[in-house]
Amino acid sequence: MKALRFKRNIPRYAAAKIAGNIMPGSGASFGPIDLIQEENSKSPGKDWVKVRPRLSGICGSDLATVDGKSARYFEPLVSFPFTPGHEVVGNLDNDSRVVLEPVLSCTSRNISPPCTPCSEGKIGNCENVTLGEISSGIQTGSCHDTGGGWSTEFYAHPSQLHSVPDEFSDEAAVMVEPTACGVHAALAAELPDQGVVAILGSGTLGQVTISALRHFTNPKTIISTARYPEQKRVAAQLGSDIVVNPEEIHRAVRRACGTKAITNVSEKAPDGRVDRLTGGADVVIDCVGSSKSISDALSITKPNGKVVLVGMPATVELELTPLWHRELQLIGAYTYGTEKLSDGKTTSTFDLAFELVKTAKLEELVSACYSLNDYREALKHAANAGARGAFKIVFDLRDERERNIK
Amino acid sequence: MKSVYSLATSFKNKFLKLGFPWVSASTPIGVDSKSKNNSLGASYDTEWARRPAARLARAVIVETLMRPVMSFLATPTRKGLDRLENLEGPAIFAANHQSHADTPLLITSIPEPWRHELVIGAAADYFFNTKATSAISALAIGAVPIDRTKVSRQSGDMISELIGEGWSLLIYPEGGRSPDGWGQPFRGGAAYLAIRCGVPVVPIHISGTGKILRKGRNLPRRSKSTVTFGYPMKPENDESARSFSTRIEKEVRSLADETASSWWDARQRSYRNSSPSLTGPEIGAWRRSWALSDNDGKTRKRRRRWPVI
Amino acid sequence: MNTNNKETSRPSPRPGFVLDVDKNTPPIVFHHGENFHLEKLPAGRSRVVYPSEPLEGLPDPEGAIKDALLNPLGDSDPLPSLLKPGMKLTIAFDDISLPLPPMRKPDIRQRIIEAVLDMAAEAGVDDVHLIAALALHRRMTEDELRHAVGDRVYDSFAPKGLLYNLDAEDPEGMVVLGETPHGEEVHFCRRAAESDLLIYVNINLVSMDGGHKSTATGLAGYTGLRHHHNVHTLRNSKSIMDRENSALHASNWRMGDVIKDAGVKIFQIETTVNNNTFGREGPLALLQKREWEWNARDRGQFIAMQRGLNLLPVKAKRHIFGGWQSPYELTSVQAGEVEAVHKKTIENVYAQQLVTVEGQTDILTMGLPYICPYNVNSIMNPILVMCLGLGYFFNLYKGKPLVREGGVLIMSHPTPWEFHPVHHPSYIDFFEQVLTETTDPIEIEKRYEKQFAEDEWYIHLYRNSYAYHGVHPLYMWYWGSHAMEHLGRIIIVGGDQKAVRRLGFQSASTLQDALEIASDVVGPQPTITHLKTPPLVMADVI
Repeated sequence: MKALRFKRNIPRYAAAKIAGNIMPGSGASFGPIDLIQEENSKSPGKDWVKVRPRLSGICGSDLATVDGKSARYFEPLVSFPFTPGHEVVGNLDNDSRVVLEPVLSCTSRNISPPCTPCSEGKIGNCENVTLGEISSGIQTGSCHDTGGGWSTEFYAHPSQLHSVPDEFSDEAAVMVEPTACGVHAALAAELPDQGVVAILGSGTLGQVTISALRHFTNPKTIISTARYPEQKRVAAQLGSDIVVNPEEIHRAVRRACGTKAITNVSEKAPDGRVDRLTGGADVVIDCVGSSKSISDALSITKPNGKVVLVGMPATVELELTPLWHRELQLIGAYTYGTEKLSDGKTTSTFDLAFELVKTAKLEELVSACYSLNDYREALKHAANAGARGAFKIVFDLRDERERNIK
Repeated sequence: MKSVYSLATSFKNKFLKLGFPWVSASTPIGVDSKSKNNSLGASYDTEWARRPAARLARAVIVETLMRPVMSFLATPTRKGLDRLENLEGPAIFAANHQSHADTPLLITSIPEPWRHELVIGAAADYFFNTKATSAISALAIGAVPIDRTKVSRQSGDMISELIGEGWSLLIYPEGGRSPDGWGQPFRGGAAYLAIRCGVPVVPIHISGTGKILRKGRNLPRRSKSTVTFGYPMKPENDESARSFSTRIEKEVRSLADETASSWWDARQRSYRNSSPSLTGPEIGAWRRSWALSDNDGKTRKRRRRWPVI
Repeated sequence: MNTNNKETSRPSPRPGFVLDVDKNTPPIVFHHGENFHLEKLPAGRSRVVYPSEPLEGLPDPEGAIKDALLNPLGDSDPLPSLLKPGMKLTIAFDDISLPLPPMRKPDIRQRIIEAVLDMAAEAGVDDVHLIAALALHRRMTEDELRHAVGDRVYDSFAPKGLLYNLDAEDPEGMVVLGETPHGEEVHFCRRAAESDLLIYVNINLVSMDGGHKSTATGLAGYTGLRHHHNVHTLRNSKSIMDRENSALHASNWRMGDVIKDAGVKIFQIETTVNNNTFGREGPLALLQKREWEWNARDRGQFIAMQRGLNLLPVKAKRHIFGGWQSPYELTSVQAGEVEAVHKKTIENVYAQQLVTVEGQTDILTMGLPYICPYNVNSIMNPILVMCLGLGYFFNLYKGKPLVREGGVLIMSHPTPWEFHPVHHPSYIDFFEQVLTETTDPIEIEKRYEKQFAEDEWYIHLYRNSYAYHGVHPLYMWYWGSHAMEHLGRIIIVGGDQKAVRRLGFQSASTLQDALEIASDVVGPQPTITHLKTPPLVMADVI
């Protein structure tokens, strides 16, 4: 089988970090990631089944890992060497198609009784990430024993698999996992009815969040920021009412909410510059995760509002006085699990994601396919997706020779 | 130092020992002395001080010495200069008088072109007492001798001729500096000359110089001052010098009111003939001094700001 | 010696004229914001409208003013007899948008207000308010008020709160005096309405100003202005500089009748100045001289100036030009009853500015200067560029526009994507939000006027800061609506491309490129008129 493998190698990790800072995505060329070919992999346990990926997406967190930007926070939660890739649609041995829900919970680790979060269905919060039958790993794609999506085969626990309806194309199926992240974030926000919500960032994650908000909540206005024309077009198409450049977000939120602003009051006159609002949006969802985006988010949320961090942040420098002064809530939204709907019913995020991908035709967000051999180009493309008018870049493994060797 | 002094003294003694004709002879007793051709006082001839070289020297003194000194001592505010917009040709500038600082202040305040074509009417018995003071007055400020009380024939003719040639005149109608800070009645000299020569009078009010160098003091003190120019005034048809002089004094009073309160209040009071008097209340000396200090109650509001670090 | 050397030795000023461009015509100076370009216009089919030389100012302005106050026009008593002790007097005066550029001290408003107040002092009037009649423009700063009325008047009244800027959003300070027969509400300053006498001090820089517009617009707020500051009215004002053919003025005149019927007694004082914008001597005088009359010194100065300006950063250039004050001279002053006074004023405006031009051409070109009524001491943002060109300069005509219907307008200005955050905050929102959706004035009026007019933040800044009212950028857009309807294409030369495109216009880097782009619309070998202003000139197109 063929796979991309991430080894623990400090000098190359450092090199990747440097390269990634200079040119995003180039960590692939310098970093500790290699294309390997070896004998077929071993199953981690008797319940586990082999999955042969058809399409595997590249996610922002994968890129961070490749470019050495991933927080060292995750190091104890992964086991080296591993194969990245957690957005997968693949074939089982009986050729049926499945979509992977990559989170490794107590069930997959064969831990009984399951921890409290797992028993409540919040598998993303599993407390036993480093224990059990398999090595540490928060999900497939960061665990040594399971393998990962960027390969011609890996192993999955049956609890991780969802079958794909026939009318779903491969592209639609590979979008399910990222869409689930967006759905989870949209619902975690708990947007009040007819509330104003702002979304910072219009990459894939931002776009699916917009779509999820439009479908599963009842917003009065969705405002989103986008830097590039293609992002703007798609954001408007998926349901954003107002799309502006990132630097215009303060004024746009002020206009939409009709509030006032606090400006630098000089001795002469209050300024017309809008840095912070007196009111603001009910919810702001940050799909970027940088110092600037979180600071912006804190300045445009109304008092007692919520800021939801969906884009993975690392170490950021942030003035938290606005958080304290305006009694804001800063919430993290990580992957997915089980959602409670407004009518009290619970359902898994993935089910909602399937629904959304079908209704909003989110397979159109898949912009380009690459073979595993071209992984350097693929990672560069994914890192510069916005500027290049693209959203989701995937590895296409359907034609890989190694795939069909039984 | 001692050697210089003893050297000078010995030189002087040697000189005196030389006697006549090195030194002037004293008039013998019993002989009527020939009346000296009195070329001091009102008959001092200042024509030389109006030649181009002297005028250039005076301009240099005014701009390089007088201006920075007055700027430092008096921190002057000049108002009303726009009222001179339409003034063409020579004029007579008439101001109230409180101190020796008035003249340099006015010379540096009167705008061009009049500033460098200006002669100052200076008291003949004070400034033109000795040859030395006459020369310095004539050169440094362009002074011409004038009588304090009534314009004599001699100085009147001389000044009229100068005005006819295009010179402007700066004159203090009070005749002298105020002894106690309050003004003195205006005499008719400025009005008389204006009517005679057919030129307008520009009334000027000066405030604050009394503190800089009061009559009787020798060392100046720093103080804020204000120079306020009024509109040029022309005598009405057949107006007498006395009536014109009264009008000029009224206008200076109104300018004083303008500085002390505001232009609008001064205008209103002027029309009601209730501008505050310049000569002060008819009361005892200490109460007059006391009342003067009421006039400068303008305290500066200090703006309090956060320090910027 | 001090002689009476008045400039009577000057030859009398020559009238404006139309120059037909031929092969010998030198390149013409085009204003380009804070710089100048020399542009060669194609021979044989171009013409340039040159302004008149400045008329001589009145020799004794103070005397003329006093004379006007004592000998009013129309049905009015001389001013002294209208002033009585114990009366309520209000003096309203034109704001920072006049004159342009600002004039050298003493400002004509200062002279007039002092003369008026002198008479008021003589009559024993105590209760006087002085109001800058700025409608929805920005408030004037202390320095600007001092420049307009002079230090004496400022120090006498401002500290007591008796000299102030109109606050048209003050619910207590404004009243509705009634409605015109067309249903237009007449919104008015309460203090002015309740005074025994309202004196208006006007500077009639262009023929759009003055008359009933001074009070009906200057002392009004949004409630009244919306009835004539709208697309329909402005599209029926052909032009806004020609009162008799202007729906804008017809509305203001109707409102003037309502004001009169409500019992407000107005003593109108109107003035005209000559067009001595750049001075007869001095560094900018060559901008008032015809190019072929430049001597060697002028030419050297122009080259040096252009080179120098090219090297300077934008802020420095703005500072230099912003500090320029024009040596305008008073050419007429009349006082008394509004309509009688205004008739005489307009005669004087036309005497200085009107030039007869025969027929229209395919293309109209203009070089836009660094200043318009709404960016004094400020920044000219793209919306103001559009307003100056399409709103003001395009409308400097009587009869018909200089360019034919469906023709092309070419303007030259750097059009920076820059906004002054204190003066024009609502403009930023208008540019960022509204223009991305639509540039059609009718759509904009329908979808956005209410939002911008009623936004609390903009109202707060208008009342407390120095910001134009929230609805003002829309008014700027409406000002160009007649031109937008009339023209086939609008091109800006030398402007910031993104900004020009956001305005909905086309961008060209040189005039030649612009003329080529224009040929797509008007055909090959189009005829061209260049309106060479400032100094101000108005075309009487026959």
